[in-house]
Amino acid sequence: MTESPKPRDFFQASEAGAADHELHRKLESASARHLGHFVQVRDEFAPYEDERSAARAIKQDSIGRLDELLIELTRRLEAHGCKVFFAADAAEARDYIVALARRSGAHRIVKGKSMTTEEIALNPALEQAGIEVLETDLGEYIVQLRGEPPSHIITPAIHLSKEDIGDLFHVKLGIPYTPEPAELTAVARSRLRESFLRADLGITGVNFAIAETGSLIVVENEGNGRMSSTLPEVFVAVMGIEKVIPKLADLPHFLEILGRTATGQKLTTYTNFIQGPRAPGELDGPREMHVVILDNGRSAMLADPVLREALMCIRCGACLNVCPVYRRIGGHAYQSPYPGPIGSIISPNLVGSAAAHLPFASTLCGACKDVCPVKIDIPRILLHLRWKESASPTPPQWPGAARRARAGARRFARMARHPRTMRLMGRIVALMLRPLAHDGWIRRMPPPFGNWTKLRDFPAPRPGRPRATENQDAKL
Amino acid sequence: MAELHKLVAALRTALEADTAASPHAPAERPAMPVAPDGFRAELAARFARELEAVGGRLLGILTPAEAIDRIVAIAKETNPRLVAIADGAAGDCAAIAAALDAAGFAVMRTTPTTDDGARAAIRDRLSRADIGIAEADYAIASTGTLAVLSTPNRPSSLTLLPPSSVIIVRVDRIVTDLAAALEALGPETLATHRMTLITGPSRTADIEKRIVLGVHGPKSLDVIVVWPHDD
Repeated sequence: MTESPKPRDFFQASEAGAADHELHRKLESASARHLGHFVQVRDEFAPYEDERSAARAIKQDSIGRLDELLIELTRRLEAHGCKVFFAADAAEARDYIVALARRSGAHRIVKGKSMTTEEIALNPALEQAGIEVLETDLGEYIVQLRGEPPSHIITPAIHLSKEDIGDLFHVKLGIPYTPEPAELTAVARSRLRESFLRADLGITGVNFAIAETGSLIVVENEGNGRMSSTLPEVFVAVMGIEKVIPKLADLPHFLEILGRTATGQKLTTYTNFIQGPRAPGELDGPREMHVVILDNGRSAMLADPVLREALMCIRCGACLNVCPVYRRIGGHAYQSPYPGPIGSIISPNLVGSAAAHLPFASTLCGACKDVCPVKIDIPRILLHLRWKESASPTPPQWPGAARRARAGARRFARMARHPRTMRLMGRIVALMLRPLAHDGWIRRMPPPFGNWTKLRDFPAPRPGRPRATENQDAKL
Repeated sequence: MAELHKLVAALRTALEADTAASPHAPAERPAMPVAPDGFRAELAARFARELEAVGGRLLGILTPAEAIDRIVAIAKETNPRLVAIADGAAGDCAAIAAALDAAGFAVMRTTPTTDDGARAAIRDRLSRADIGIAEADYAIASTGTLAVLSTPNRPSSLTLLPPSSVIIVRVDRIVTDLAAALEALGPETLATHRMTLITGPSRTADIEKRIVLGVHGPKSLDVIVVWPHDD
C-alpha cells in the first residue's frame, strides 16, 4: 500500500459517506436490485441449502489440509508447463510480476477483474516500472479512469450513477455525453477490444483452483477474464492460498451458489477452466503461463482457530449488499480493497494494522452471516478481532470520541458486575430520560450523549422490566 | 414404450453411423452418456428455456441437413463479411463451410499450426470475422450453458472474438446439470484442455446494475440442437 489509512480517516470518510444522500440512493437501489434477483434464483433452486452446506464442508476440509492440496496443485500446474511462484507477501508478488513483465518486454498489460491484485497494489508498481496497465472489467475500467479504487468487490462502480459515468466518458474519452448504459458499454467495448488484441501480457485473479486436475477457474460475465487469459502471449494468474479445492467434483457445489449470491444468476456467463499454456498446434492461449500463489497474512489467519473460518470466503459480495453499515457509508470509507463485513474481518490480516479498526465498524446485526453462501459466522469473528485488538499491547490510535466511548464502556462494565447497582442505576436513568421521550422515542439527548442521538434514535424507557429481558422472552 | 425403445435404438445407430462417417470428428471424445429413454426432448426443452432466459436464442432442434440450411439462412439475414468455423464442428463442418461458400460468403476454417506468423495471421482474421461457428461438447439443461473445450482445431477465440456466436450441440450431449457435465468431461480431459462454460452472450451489470449484452465477447448467442434423424 502506498499510504496506510489511519482510524481518523475512517471516521471522517464514514461520516462523509453517511451524510451523502446521493450515495445512499445509488447503494440502496443497487442493493435492492441485487437482493431481488438473489432471492428469486435462490427460491427456485430447491437444493440451495444443501449446496451451501456442501460448499462449506468442502472449504472446511480444504483449509484443513491446505499444505497437501497446494503441493498437489503446484505439481499439476508445473506438469502442464506453468511456472508457479509462492509469494510470502504483497511485495514479493509485485516484484515477481514486475520483473516478469520487464523480462518479457511487456509494454501493455490487460487485466481481468481481480481483487487479489488490488490487495497487493499491483497497478501502481507496474506503472512505476513504466508499463501501461489497463483494467478491462467495465466497472474496473470506469474506476480506473476516475483514478479511484473499486468500492465493491463485485460491482466496482456501484457508487456511480449512469450520469456520473456519462460525464466521465465525455471528459476522459472525448465522446459526446450520454447516460445510456448500452451506449457507454459499446464505447468501452471498442476501446478495450483494441487493447486486448495488442496486449503482450494478461493478468487475472482466480476463483477456485482444483488440485486434482491442476485447473484454475476464473468466473466472470463480460469476457474480460477470457480475453486476458487467452490472447496475450504471457499470462499471469494471481491467487490466494485459500482458493484451492480438492476435486473437480467439488466445483459444482460452489458454482451453483456463487452466481446466485453474487449477481442473482444461476451461473455466470463465462466459467473459464485454465490448466496451462497452449499446447503445440493450438491457435490461442498464452505461450507462457505463471501462477502466483499468495500468502500475505493468510497463513496467520489459518493459525487463529476463530479467524480461520474467514478463509472460506468465496468473494461473492453478498454480505456487502445486506450490510446496513456498508449501505450507509459506501465501500470507499473502509479504505481497503475488501470493504463491508467480509472486508472488516480479512483486511486486518491482508492489508495490515492500518485496517485494525475495521472490526469495530459493525452493528453486529448478523445479516452478513445469514446471507453468506458458506455460512461464515462474521459477527463472531468481528467480536474475536475486537477482543484481540483491545488486548493488543499496541492498541490503535483512537480519535477522541472513540476513546471516550471505550472509557465509558469500561465504567459500564464495572457497574454491570453489581446487579443491585445496575438495577438502581437503570431506574434512575429511566426516570431522568422520561421527560425527553416523545412517541416512544428519544430523538435528542443532552451532552455528552448528544453525539449518539445525532445519527440514531433511542427507544424510550418503559416502566417495568428492562428491555433485554423482554427481548429474550420474545425469542423463546 | 416399444416405439420409444425403437426410436432410441434407431437414434443410437444413427449417431454411431454419423460419427464413423465424419472425417473431422475429434478423436479423443469422451464416452457418450446416454440419457434415460424419452428424457432427451425434455432436456432440450429445459435447455432452450434457460438459454433464452440468459439472452441466448435457440434456432431449432434440427437434423444435420436442416442445421446447414438454417446456418446459411442466418448468414443471409446478417450478411457477414467473414464467417469463421472450427474444423470438427457438428460432425461435418466441411458441409457447412461448403454450403456457406456456395451461398457466396467468405469462410475461414481454423486449422492447427505451430508457426508463429501463421498463428498471428489466423488470429487477425478471426478478430475480423462477424460470425463464429463451433460445436459444444456438452450443453447443460438446468442453466442453459454450453461447455466448449479448446482444442487445436477449435480455439477459444472462435467463440469469443466474433460479435455473433453460433453454437451447435447434439441432443445426446445435453445433460441435466453442471455436476453431470463435469462428470461426463472427467478430470483427465480438464487436466489437458482449457474449457469455457458459456451461459448466454457476454454481459455486464456494472452501470447501475442494468444488464447490457455484448461487452467483450459475443453480443448474440444462437444455438442449434442437432437431432440426427430424418423422420
